[in-house]
Amino acid sequence: MTVVTESRPRRTGPGVQASADAARRRADRGRLLRRTGRGLVLAVMSVVALFPFYALVILSLKPAEAIHFPGSLTPWHLDGGAYSTILGAQDVLRWTLNTGVYSIVSVVMVLLLSSMAGYAFAKKRFPGKEPIFWSFVAMVMVPYHVTLVPTFILIAETNGVDTYWGLILPTLANAQAVFLMRQFIKSLPDELFEAARLDGCSEWRVFVSIVLPLTKPVLATLGIFVFLWHWNDFLWPLVIGQSPDMRTLTTGIASLNQQNVPLNQVLAGSVVALVPIFLAYLVGQRYVQESVAMTGIKG
Amino acid sequence: MATQLTVRKRGLAPPEGRRRSPLARRDAVAGMLFVLPCFALFLVFRFGPAVAGSLLGFFDYQVGGSAKWRGLANFRRLWHDPVFWSALKVTLLYALFAVPTTIAASLGMALLTRRGFRGVRFFRSIFFLPVITSLVLTGAIFRWVFSAGGPWSTVMGWVGLGHTAWLEDTTMVIPALALVGVWSRFGYGMLILLAALQNVPRELEEAATMDGAGPWQRFRYIVFPQLRPALFFLAVIETTMSFQAFDSVYMMTSGGPAHASYTLVFDLYEQGFKYMDFGYSGAIGLALFVMTLVVALIQRLILGRDT
Repeated sequence: MTVVTESRPRRTGPGVQASADAARRRADRGRLLRRTGRGLVLAVMSVVALFPFYALVILSLKPAEAIHFPGSLTPWHLDGGAYSTILGAQDVLRWTLNTGVYSIVSVVMVLLLSSMAGYAFAKKRFPGKEPIFWSFVAMVMVPYHVTLVPTFILIAETNGVDTYWGLILPTLANAQAVFLMRQFIKSLPDELFEAARLDGCSEWRVFVSIVLPLTKPVLATLGIFVFLWHWNDFLWPLVIGQSPDMRTLTTGIASLNQQNVPLNQVLAGSVVALVPIFLAYLVGQRYVQESVAMTGIKG
Repeated sequence: MATQLTVRKRGLAPPEGRRRSPLARRDAVAGMLFVLPCFALFLVFRFGPAVAGSLLGFFDYQVGGSAKWRGLANFRRLWHDPVFWSALKVTLLYALFAVPTTIAASLGMALLTRRGFRGVRFFRSIFFLPVITSLVLTGAIFRWVFSAGGPWSTVMGWVGLGHTAWLEDTTMVIPALALVGVWSRFGYGMLILLAALQNVPRELEEAATMDGAGPWQRFRYIVFPQLRPALFFLAVIETTMSFQAFDSVYMMTSGGPAHASYTLVFDLYEQGFKYMDFGYSGAIGLALFVMTLVVALIQRLILGRDT
């Protein structure tokens, strides 16, 4: 921590000089104190934020019988036994596959559907456009748990329990995504689209070769957001994936947790599930943080 | 053609619906086709369930498609159900602990990481990490953190607050869950408030400093008024989130000990998917919705007067 001394215009006169020096010294000391305080608070909060992750990884590498505090938190005498046990059981691989299908199919579909709708809402004129759009947006107000049971009944009645389509389809109607795409496409100049259409491009061509490339930054932001949301999703997969084969990583790990599986194996499973999230965050950190500002404030 | 288009853009074209050029008709058809898939999904999976969800509480429903009108019976049962009232109390208590603490931590961290200095991005990224991880995946480690002889009870022992395992204690289980909630949410609030802090004019603060305003006065009279809308937004979002806390309860306590962490959403989940009592579960959902709305209105009255 360094003290930045700023050069200031000095007034003349020895008395004024001395008191100004004293004032500056006091100000410098205050600033140093404040910065040290800030550094300390931030360091403590970082430890608080990171400690659970550290403990998660380290304890997943310790034998379950010997886990105690604080001795088990040392980063040596590690062994990967829990990982080979948990990956040897077919379940975790199956859950990873299910989670991957759920997340990736949903990301692709949400991006495609919401950019199509967003484009139409932003640049097309058709009867009922505004009421339809605002009724989409109003759906954000209806809380998840009010629609949870009816959606489950709908899927159960159409034999969608324990199927991929039953898991994925209801999550594709994403109002925030449509809203975000519409706002962004609205800011693009009309001339771009008009010119292409006058050149004889089909509507689909205009969408694929003009709208999609121009919306790349928003698509990236939205894509990471939707990916994280689906990867972490719990309640919906919990009610819809009832057989062990149709569990996702979150519901699978919850089931391990309830079956009194040794702690290090539950933790090893959690680490397996966390790695893709951390990778996605590492790659798209900027986008993730932007998406909060965008979806958070406007959505 | 080009002039016609610019004219239409300026809004001088004849009203819609009358003379439509082929291009405009093509525009309308394409627009409807582009919206159609989304519209169908919304109709089936949002509007339908929203309407059904608000009516469900008035019915008894069995899988297989038999719905029986029950009138207010489910709600009457709710009114006399001690489990419901206890769940309501637990939910409000959780919100009371979690929401103010989350907002305070968010605000503190936003103010501390507000100005650029070396490593500021690093800190922000670290604080956001818990937000993007599900509490299902960290639930097992938090159960260990709060277990007897675990880190938390040891630290509490050091400061003289006893060695109890908070998750097994009927009074301390909610504060423990709330702390986990704060851990997983404060990074989100921090980012929201950081975005809002960008609107605070720097010159104004500097001018106030020149005039001898201390940090507290600058915060109270310059920063805080600008943050008000964002704080209102956060208060509503965090309250809604805390009313819906489920993952941590499911992973760490399953509603126990002795129903001390049995929240409304947990009740809704168990009634619906453990006992398959969909109508009753729907009644709980509606009660939760009304409660969320009422609290949001109260917050608006207190915090959001001029937002």
